[in-house]
Amino acid sequence: MPAAAYEKVLLPNIEKNETEWLSAYQKGGGYTALRTALGMTPEAITNLVKDAGLRGRGGAGFPTGLKWSFLPKGVGPRYLAINADESEPGTCKDRPLMEQRPHSMIEGIIITCLAIESQQAFVYIRGEYYNSAKVVQKAVDECYAAGILGNNVLGSGKRVDLVVHRGAGAYICGEETALLTSLEGYRGYPKLKPPFPAISGLYGKPTIINNVETVTNVPYILNKGVDWFKSFVHEKSTGLRLLCVSGHVKKPGVYEVPMTYTLREIIYDICGGIRNDHDLKFIIPGGSSVPWLLPDKLDAVCSMEGLQAAGSFLGSAGMMVMDHTVCPVWALTNLSAFYRHESCGQCTPCREGSAWLHKILLRIETGHGQEGDLQMLRSIAGTGPGTGMICGRSICALGDAAAWPVSSALNLYWNEFEEHVKNKGCGYKNKRFWMNKAGNFVNDAFAHKPTWGHAAH
Amino acid sequence: MAILKNRHDEIEKLCAKYPSRRSALLPVLWMVQEQEGWVSQDAMKEVAEIIGCTAAEVYEVVSFYTMYNQKPVGRHHIQFCHTLACAICGSHEAVGHIREKYGFDEGASISRDGKFSLVEVECIGACTEAPAMLVGETLYGNLTPERLDEVLNARN
Repeated sequence: MPAAAYEKVLLPNIEKNETEWLSAYQKGGGYTALRTALGMTPEAITNLVKDAGLRGRGGAGFPTGLKWSFLPKGVGPRYLAINADESEPGTCKDRPLMEQRPHSMIEGIIITCLAIESQQAFVYIRGEYYNSAKVVQKAVDECYAAGILGNNVLGSGKRVDLVVHRGAGAYICGEETALLTSLEGYRGYPKLKPPFPAISGLYGKPTIINNVETVTNVPYILNKGVDWFKSFVHEKSTGLRLLCVSGHVKKPGVYEVPMTYTLREIIYDICGGIRNDHDLKFIIPGGSSVPWLLPDKLDAVCSMEGLQAAGSFLGSAGMMVMDHTVCPVWALTNLSAFYRHESCGQCTPCREGSAWLHKILLRIETGHGQEGDLQMLRSIAGTGPGTGMICGRSICALGDAAAWPVSSALNLYWNEFEEHVKNKGCGYKNKRFWMNKAGNFVNDAFAHKPTWGHAAH
Repeated sequence: MAILKNRHDEIEKLCAKYPSRRSALLPVLWMVQEQEGWVSQDAMKEVAEIIGCTAAEVYEVVSFYTMYNQKPVGRHHIQFCHTLACAICGSHEAVGHIREKYGFDEGASISRDGKFSLVEVECIGACTEAPAMLVGETLYGNLTPERLDEVLNARN
């Protein structure tokens, strides 16, 4: 149902696209939550976040307070790593959050450090976000100068240091263990779990990894209270959520919404409907990894539970909307090129599987599909989560992420895939393809890879 | 030390931020690239000395992260997103437009006059502003042929 009028707190003035620096942030009540937190015990802060039902905004939706409480007692030092390696296609909420409200994130980070008794936090910002890193670094400098960060946080005698660290172009570093390996100065290879980072993380020490949006919610939970946070509720999804709607809607953008709207309300009311009043073809509701949804699921509620009931996931809340001009085979080929490129190459099911999925899809899309190709795709990708040759067999979830869209697209569009194989190519008039001017097939998805690079599959 | 010879203090300050010196590897490589535009093998050897690891280990890292340029780039380095949200909003056409209009030979990644270099990259996190690209360190979204020309001509 459409929510009653509500106050947006994370990105209240997103359309202005201005950075709120320290003085403006403090004028609006900034860092009062930190003062409150300094008077609380770590357990009290953690319990508040638990009571609010805050769940991770990065994709997996794990309860934040519960994650914090997994740290072993009496073992230190402990680290906090903030995941700002926002790389899931369709997702672009942490960038405006960091560039417009850097202090709101920093306040959340310091409070989280108090809750988990850590003195050292890192923000790992993806390399492509040059500006975000500059803005956050400047805001951090402001905090050190004002005594908000450093060895005497607001005169409390508590120490919190914050380092801004930049990635350099690797989707895999959004995976928490890969992020830590990268932060240690190595290739971003994920690690097998257990041990979980809460036990053995950065430099082998207990570490908590939280998404930017997750920690940015924390000051507002302290200021406005658990009841306010829980007033936005659908089943176990509480609070406001930054939803990124891209693709063929009239008004794409990042919208701060309670998780109570249906997909129909988001696409047709908030985003103004489909461009040129075209028909809706399909929706990828939670970042490129999640199963696709057809228009028959438009009445699903856009919450973690609502979308799961509809057969997909809210994931990172990056919603891509396709109109009827989009060929599902072409779209899937594009996504599998992404996963093939971004597979770190460490474990075989993902490295080989993502490459095979892309190779087979590419030949179907370019008119060279063979009999049995669809069956082979299905045997690799499976028929849903947990099946096939990749899902559940790789070190991290990238393998699953590469397989899910394939199994989902085959389930939804088997006939269109069959026609591509039978008719030797795509019947979509305005399809886009990878051909050079001479009409030869060029695999330019890899054109920029160095010839001696890590993923010369 | 040749490439980073005047930046010793800056480097030491950077290394001191981390519990382990090795963590400064990516930031030091960024320093090299920001200064030189790319990371040469000589630079990798130098960075290895700074960090205290082997040149092979530095190369291992450089070759993993796609944003480190292992070859020189043009004066203005364009990273154009070609992942789904941008692709359905015309990124392939936009890339074709750039290649044609700004003097890229078939298959070349640098324009004939050396002003521009172009790589198609995976999602750059500007999906709601598709199609989008980075020129140098600046993000440009909601690109149309007109806006694209406006941005690139301003740097031409």
